[in-house]
Amino acid sequence: MIIQEITKTDSLSAIKDTVIQSSANTLGEITFAPEKLLESNGLMISIVGYGIVFLALLLLYLFIRTLTKTLFTKQKKRLIAKGESIHPEVDLSVPGEVTAAIGMAINLYFDSQHDIESTVLTIKKVQRPYSPWSSKLYGLRHYPNK
Amino acid sequence: MDGVTQFLRFTSFANFTWGHLVMLAIGCLFIFLAIKKEYEPLLLIPIGFGILIGNIPFFENVGLQIGIYEEGSVLNYLYFGVTKGIYPPLIFLGIGAMTDFSALLSNPKLMLLGAAAQVGIFLTFMAALVLGFTQEQAAAIGIIGGADGPTAIFLSSRLAPELIGAIAIAAYSYMALVPVIQPPIIKLLTSKEERVIRMKPPRSVSKLEKILFPIVGLLLTTFISPGALPLLGMLFFGNLLKESGVTKRLSDTASKAMIDIVTILLGLTVGASTQATTFLTPQSILIFVLGAVSFAIATAGGVIFAKVMNLFLKGDERINPMIGAAGVSAVPDSARVVQSLGLKEDSSNYLLMHAMAPNVSGVIGSAVAAGILMGFLLKAV
Repeated sequence: MIIQEITKTDSLSAIKDTVIQSSANTLGEITFAPEKLLESNGLMISIVGYGIVFLALLLLYLFIRTLTKTLFTKQKKRLIAKGESIHPEVDLSVPGEVTAAIGMAINLYFDSQHDIESTVLTIKKVQRPYSPWSSKLYGLRHYPNK
Repeated sequence: MDGVTQFLRFTSFANFTWGHLVMLAIGCLFIFLAIKKEYEPLLLIPIGFGILIGNIPFFENVGLQIGIYEEGSVLNYLYFGVTKGIYPPLIFLGIGAMTDFSALLSNPKLMLLGAAAQVGIFLTFMAALVLGFTQEQAAAIGIIGGADGPTAIFLSSRLAPELIGAIAIAAYSYMALVPVIQPPIIKLLTSKEERVIRMKPPRSVSKLEKILFPIVGLLLTTFISPGALPLLGMLFFGNLLKESGVTKRLSDTASKAMIDIVTILLGLTVGASTQATTFLTPQSILIFVLGAVSFAIATAGGVIFAKVMNLFLKGDERINPMIGAAGVSAVPDSARVVQSLGLKEDSSNYLLMHAMAPNVSGVIGSAVAAGILMGFLLKAV
């Protein structure tokens, strides 16, 4: 089947040429045409497009800001109604050094834990028969002083 | 004897071109960078190996059904997910399930940095138009500036499928090269005083805020840019799975097993799509150059906008302009770059959390930009 198909084609190079030519045709030639910016509305699309990206994220920003303020106000009112003290400016931040120290401590703590202990003893007596290939004497770069 | 000749004609040696050698070398370079330099190994290993697979020369167009562009081949079936834009939304689902938007919610003004960095997309779009690409091709090339591989693949699959291989490779290459490309631009545009600015630590964010954000985020962004629905829909869905706290199993699958499977398939097929016979053209090289320019402009755009914002901010409200560079959506690489640059300037100034805000906002911004470009240009297709 394959052999039959191959015989239909002229040669291997002809096949390659066809593939390369078709890909080149699809992609076209490189040119320099500044006028295309206006002709194809490229400038307009860019300006409007960039503006819309900004608008979308600006709206999202405004929403989050409003949501945060609303939530804080509600929490404040709830606390006032309960008669509890309000600490809206409580700083919950932790300095980087403290975070690093906590991380280190946790890491050390978990590293020293052994949830499952292996009960299999793995100590084996190994015989080391003499071999000139591993002999220390032959491995010395300098002969010992006699 | 005829049989032997026939066999020899089918071997890779008989079909070998210098283009294949170049591509094989690029594949090996990607693998080297991934292993030795640890530049985005999760992406570069599949892509690099995919390049090797895609550039083993074979006798094309004779019904062997082995090449990625040959209908019926296994690789062609897997590549279907790329050409039809199936993989990118699935990747976004995983990203959503992995992303913590707390940094953004605690300081929402940083979201504007994610918008500012998208300037690279639109400037490169114009540059590509001037260089003779069609509107659709120019849009697909411009999106490389978003530094978002899935978005670039998604948009090019819709607007310029013929460029998908080159665009995907360029986008992922620049994402992997974030630690090389961004630092010089950031240093060039900022002074020493600006680089050591300490930002107010982020506040704690309530669960209600975290749950509301994906719902409102979806509604607001996709009503403006419906073209981004497949990407943003999945992103926010994944995030709701995570933040709701009641779908841990689904969130775990989306953020671990599923995103890993899709990353493997996407990386491998994108790499294999760089078959030398169709990939090595002057246009591909031009796309690489435009992609680099786009990425550099996007980085600069974010940093400059952060500096402009500082003109209106006082005291501890001021932002470190370096985090503007994280407005490109290479998550979390650009944020990590900013963190390491910050630590170099001041060993106790941790910027990672602050930089994550524009970084995740950049993901939303680039998807919105892709949707807008689709909205403008799909009519003409």
